[in-house]
Amino acid sequence: MKDIITKEKVFNHSIDTIWSAITRAEELSTWFIKADFKAENGYKYTFTASEDKGCLAINGEVKASSPYTLIYTWVVENTNVETTVTWHLQPIEGGGTKLHLEHSGISNYEGDTAVKMFESFSGGWDGCINGLLAYLKKEVNAG
Amino acid sequence: MQDKVTTLFKAIADPKRRAIFHALIIASSALSITQIVNKFDISRQGVTKHIKTLEEAGLVSINSKGRERFCYPNAKPLQEINKWLKFYEQFWTDSLDSLGDYLDNKKA
Repeated sequence: MKDIITKEKVFNHSIDTIWSAITRAEELSTWFIKADFKAENGYKYTFTASEDKGCLAINGEVKASSPYTLIYTWVVENTNVETTVTWHLQPIEGGGTKLHLEHSGISNYEGDTAVKMFESFSGGWDGCINGLLAYLKKEVNAG
Repeated sequence: MQDKVTTLFKAIADPKRRAIFHALIIASSALSITQIVNKFDISRQGVTKHIKTLEEAGLVSINSKGRERFCYPNAKPLQEINKWLKFYEQFWTDSLDSLGDYLDNKKA
């Protein structure tokens, strides 16, 4: 059984455009989650889901950020379980960029913590993040 | 205290233990240690050891009746991991879609 989530996606954009979108707080806050973020080793970042809905924040520390690899730890608020998110960009011959994303560390979760976390997800965080994404999608497309 | 999910992953990493667990899941009733030994052609000692590992991971519970011990499967711990994986699978798919939309819009 795997302990890692892997995603690959090809974008028709330059590697620097995408690097900027995944490392700059201003851009992250637009397409991802409201972010206090700096792509500097050791920076302790915060991703904040909308507070009025009582959603949980994500905290973590940047472990590596040399173009074009970005690694940070991922800790859901009110848990002490650390998972790791890795972004890697690669130029494609003839234009475009391949993005490779990994989220690993499920085996760090204790059973009880996992249950608590899922309860909070279904109770709000899940819908909150998805709602936020849907909102952003709409806003960005409309804009 | 050893981490529960780590124990769970270790328990299901072994193909023989997966096979035993699967046999318990598809059996309509609990299986005794003797029945498992007959099914798998593994020594009684070997089966007992595998069952103990599965029990520690919360995947099997044991009920003694007389001299025989009966094993019941419990798939709930696996569902918890599955939920976590499913949640983040969807989360990252949505996020990357959102990134794509953002980039396309930025270009135009």
